Amino acid sequence: MTVRGSWIVAVALGFLVMGFHGRVGAFPVDGDQTTLPATTELNEDALDKPREVFRSEAVGGGKSYLVNLGNLAFSSSGILGGVARQAGVSCSTCHVNGASNAKFFIPKMSTRPGNFDTTGPLFNPKADNFVLDPIRIPSLRGARYLAPYGHDGRMASLRDFVRNVIVNEFSGPEPSPGVLDAIVAYIHDIDFLPNPNLGPGGRLTGQISDAERRGEALFLKPFPHDPAQSCAGCHVPSAAFVDHQQHDVGSGGLFKTPTLRNADFNVPYFHDGRFDSYDQVVAHFDRVFDLGLSTQDRRDLVAYLTAVGDGVQPYEHDGAGAVLKEINDFTTVLGTAIPANDREVIALAVDTIGSELRELTERYPDRKNTSVSGGQQERGLARLALKELVLTLRRIDMAAAEGRVSDATFEYKNYRYLMVAAVPTLLAGAEPWSLFNPTVHDAHYAALRQVLQTRHTAR
Amino acid sequence: MDPYLGRELFASPRRSLARDCGPPARRRQWAAMCLLSVVLVTGARSANATPLDEAAERYRPYMTEGIGQALAGARDLRGRIAAKDLAGARKAWIAARAGWERSEVFTAGFVPELDAQIDAWPNADTGFHAIEAKLFGANRIDVENETDALVDHLSNLHGKLRNMPLTPQGLLDGTVRLAYEVGESKADGGESRISGTSLDDMRNNISGIQLAYRIIFAAVLKSADRKFADAVDGKIEELKALLAGRDLQRVDIPKLRRESEELVVALQSAAAMLRLQRPTLEAASR
Repeated sequence: MTVRGSWIVAVALGFLVMGFHGRVGAFPVDGDQTTLPATTELNEDALDKPREVFRSEAVGGGKSYLVNLGNLAFSSSGILGGVARQAGVSCSTCHVNGASNAKFFIPKMSTRPGNFDTTGPLFNPKADNFVLDPIRIPSLRGARYLAPYGHDGRMASLRDFVRNVIVNEFSGPEPSPGVLDAIVAYIHDIDFLPNPNLGPGGRLTGQISDAERRGEALFLKPFPHDPAQSCAGCHVPSAAFVDHQQHDVGSGGLFKTPTLRNADFNVPYFHDGRFDSYDQVVAHFDRVFDLGLSTQDRRDLVAYLTAVGDGVQPYEHDGAGAVLKEINDFTTVLGTAIPANDREVIALAVDTIGSELRELTERYPDRKNTSVSGGQQERGLARLALKELVLTLRRIDMAAAEGRVSDATFEYKNYRYLMVAAVPTLLAGAEPWSLFNPTVHDAHYAALRQVLQTRHTAR
Repeated sequence: MDPYLGRELFASPRRSLARDCGPPARRRQWAAMCLLSVVLVTGARSANATPLDEAAERYRPYMTEGIGQALAGARDLRGRIAAKDLAGARKAWIAARAGWERSEVFTAGFVPELDAQIDAWPNADTGFHAIEAKLFGANRIDVENETDALVDHLSNLHGKLRNMPLTPQGLLDGTVRLAYEVGESKADGGESRISGTSLDDMRNNISGIQLAYRIIFAAVLKSADRKFADAVDGKIEELKALLAGRDLQRVDIPKLRRESEELVVALQSAAAMLRLQRPTLEAASR
C-alpha cells in the first residue's frame, strides 16, 4: 500500500468512526394522499435515538451474520404487507433501535402516544376485532429473558410471536424460515442497558440513597392484607424482575409481568400505556391492593423503581455516523449472500439499505429547500454520493436476479469502495448544512409544520 | 480494512486515477471528491455527439411548449385571483404545475437559479409551493405578489429558452435525475401534498422523461442497440403504468422505486452507447 493510498483510506476510515451529531427522519405525515392517516406521528425526526446494546458485542465478540440479517429484516417494510409496506413502516418504526417509541401515534389506532391497536382495521382488516384496544409498544431490550410473549403472554415462542406480527398483524407474506430465524437471533441479541445500581440478585448496590433503600424494603415486603403477595413476588429481582406469569392487577384482565429493567425509558406503563409515571403506577397498586402506603412510602417506591429502571446512556445523539454504521452492518449481509447467490437476501438487502440511503440523502437538503442556505456544493456532493450508492445496490440486485454473480460481486466492491473511501468524508463536509445540525433541523421542521398547520387551521 | 476494498483500491486501474487526483496532504474533502469522481467517470467516452446535438435542438420547441403551458397557467391564475375565484385559481395552478413538472427534465440543470425560485419549498416566499400553501392549505386567494413573481420567473425562463445552449449531456443528466426522483418515497404525501396533486406531478415527470428520451436519445440508441433501446422504452412505459392508479395510495411505491432505479441504471448504461459521460444525479455536480 502506498503512503498516499493509506492516507486516503485512513482519513476515510477516521471519519467513519468519528461520528456525527443528530439524525432525523421523514417528513411529518400529512395531506390528502398519504398512506397513513394525516397527523400520524412516527417520531422519525427525533434527534435523540435509543441506544442499542448487543449482547454479542458486550461480551467482546461481534454481531453474527444472522443478527445482521435479522436487524436488516427488522428494518425492512418489505417483509410486511399492505399499508405498512406501502407506507414504509417496519418493525423498527415502533421498536426504535430495539427499544420502544413513546411518541408513536396513529389516529384511530392509538388512544395516546406510545400505544397502538394491533387488531385494528388499518394494517390487516382480516385481523380487525372491531374494538379500539391498543397496547403499549414494548421495548425489546432483554427480550430473551422475558418469555412468554405478547402483553398477555399468549405465546411461549418468540419465533411464533414474530411470525404472527408479520403475517397477521401487518399482512406480510409468510416469512422464509431463514429470515424468521434471523429476526429472532437479532431480538435475542438486544441486551438491557447496563445499570450499575443493580448487583447480584437484582439488589441495589453502590451509592444508594435512603429513599431507594426504603423503597427496596417496601418492594420486598409482603402485602398487608395478603402476605403471600409482594411486589417482588411477581417482579422477581433475581430474574430480570419478571416471573413469566400473567396476573390480574386490576387493569382489566390477565397480563404478564413486565420487566422493571430499563423501565425508566419505557413510558407509558401498563399493557395499554394508561400511566405516564411511576407515581401513577404506585398509586394504582396502593389502591387496588389496599397497601396503605404513606406519601413517603410512595416516594420511596418511586425512588427504588427509578434506580432499578435506570440504564447507562439510554439515548444517543444520532447522526450520519450512526446511520452509516448501521448501514455498513446491514451491508455485511451482502458479503455472504452474493457469493452464495442468495437472491432473496440480496433483494431484501438492496431494498432495505437503499431505503435507508434514500432517507439519509434527504437529511442533506437540496437547492430548493428554503430552510437552509450555504453549503450548496457540499450538500450536492453528499446527495450525489448517496444516490450513487443506491444505484450501485440496484445494479447488484439486477445482476443477481439475472444470475450474473461476478457482476454483482464487482458492484459490491464498488459499493464498499465508495462507502469506505468517500462517503463518510463527503457527509462530514456537508454536515453543517444538514438536518443533523440541530439549528438546520429545527428550521426545516418548523417551516414544514408551519405550512401543514396552516392547512389544518383553515379546515 | 475491508478485504474487497484493499484489493480493489490498490490493484485496479482506479488506483492510479485516485492517486493522480492531486497532491498529498490536501484537505480530506477534496480527496473524497476525487475518489467519488473516479467512480463516476467509469464508462465515460469522449464527447462527439453531433446527431445528438441535432436531436437536442429538435427538443427545444417542446421545452418552449412546456414552459409556455406553465406560463399560460400562471397568467390564468393571476386572472382568477383578480376575480376572487378560488376554485378557478386552484385549477389554473394545477394547469401551470403540469407544464412545469414536464419541464423538470431541464430546469434544474440549465436554469438552476430560476428552478430554485419557481419550485422552492417548504415555506418559500415565492413559487408554486408558496402559492399552493395559501390556495389549497389556507383557502386564501391573496397570492397576487407570489403569482406576479411566478409569472415573471416563468416569463424570464420562457424567453431564455430561445437561445439557451442545449447539450445532450445536460439533457441526459436531467432525464436521469428526474427518473431517480420519481422513485423517492411518497409516504409523506409527496411534493405537492397540500394540494394533493403529487401523483399528477409524478405522471407529468414521466411524460417529460418519455418525451426527452424519444426525441433526443431513442434514435441514436436504437442504431447502437435496438433491443436495449426498446428495453429503456419499456421501463418508461412500466413507470407510466404504475402511476395510472386513481390516487397515490394505490401506487405500488416499492415497485415504483425499483423501476425508477432500474431506468436510471439503464440510462447510465446507455450513456456509453450515446458516447456521453455517465449522467450525474445532482444538478451542477458535473
